[in-house]
Amino acid sequence: MQKIILKGIPASPGWIQGKVKVIKTLAEIQNLGTGEIVVTSFLTPDFIPFIRSNSRISGIITDKGGSTCHAAIIAREFKIPYIAAAIGATKKLKNNTIITMDSETGIIYAA
Amino acid sequence: MQLKGFKKIEGIKELQTYNLPIPDTIFIFNFKKQEKEIDKFLKNKENITIRTDKRGNTDFCPHILRCPKSKAKPFIKKITAKGYATILQEYLPIRKNRILSGNILILKNHILMELMGVGPLTWLNREGRVEEQIKFRKDNLKEVEHLGKRLVRKKKLVNIVKMVKNIPPYKVLEFTLRLEGPFFWQIKEDKTAKLLES
Repeated sequence: MQKIILKGIPASPGWIQGKVKVIKTLAEIQNLGTGEIVVTSFLTPDFIPFIRSNSRISGIITDKGGSTCHAAIIAREFKIPYIAAAIGATKKLKNNTIITMDSETGIIYAA
Repeated sequence: MQLKGFKKIEGIKELQTYNLPIPDTIFIFNFKKQEKEIDKFLKNKENITIRTDKRGNTDFCPHILRCPKSKAKPFIKKITAKGYATILQEYLPIRKNRILSGNILILKNHILMELMGVGPLTWLNREGRVEEQIKFRKDNLKEVEHLGKRLVRKKKLVNIVKMVKNIPPYKVLEFTLRLEGPFFWQIKEDKTAKLLES
């Protein structure tokens, strides 16, 4: 049985396993590797053009947010699994850790 | 004036078709032709809210949440000259008498509310400041999920759910609950919400 690390709001459904990349500033997103899961405080509108034009993001986890926020709508539009309101995600999830996110249920597992 | 393409204005008109309460509102497309209408709207008001809309524009449009009466007409004149339509609304103070603001997402069998206690709705939509999420079944209005802190007694939210439960699915309504009752700001379509059906 997989260990549950965190639970949040399922904002865009999907199931994905990948490496964590904690993003603290917009500039850091340029260093994102293919297939990495973006973990950040929240996807403000500044992040949106990057999501629209970048296929390197395999999943998104944010400390804040919900299913009706703009970021959630964009994630669903681009079929990117997204778990919002995973409180403490940016502190608990460390760079390069492999995790599994089930954004049908909003649960993040240790891989 | 053809309203097609003015998403916000169409949304406000749609709210009226569902008989949902909205703040006192007028739409301005031509400053010169509608100046008298503007003067009439401004009469006896200290402040108003000015929102703008542009045909086919999905980007962020300029707005002034609390615009003093003296500054309203110059702003409306300037912004309409740039091709925006302006939405003039009664100013509802953001702190005084306000209980919460939020979004209501209509799903097929459920209604989802995402709420926050303080601040303008852009904080929720653009910065993700959700303080409470609550999901109701449409058929019996029972709460099936709850996250965060209770901002208000559930009964008050159920009363709002009753007002919107017959609206077709995959629409998002923005609203504010004040001591005097709820006010709706906008309704928009969110086809991506189909993906949230479990």
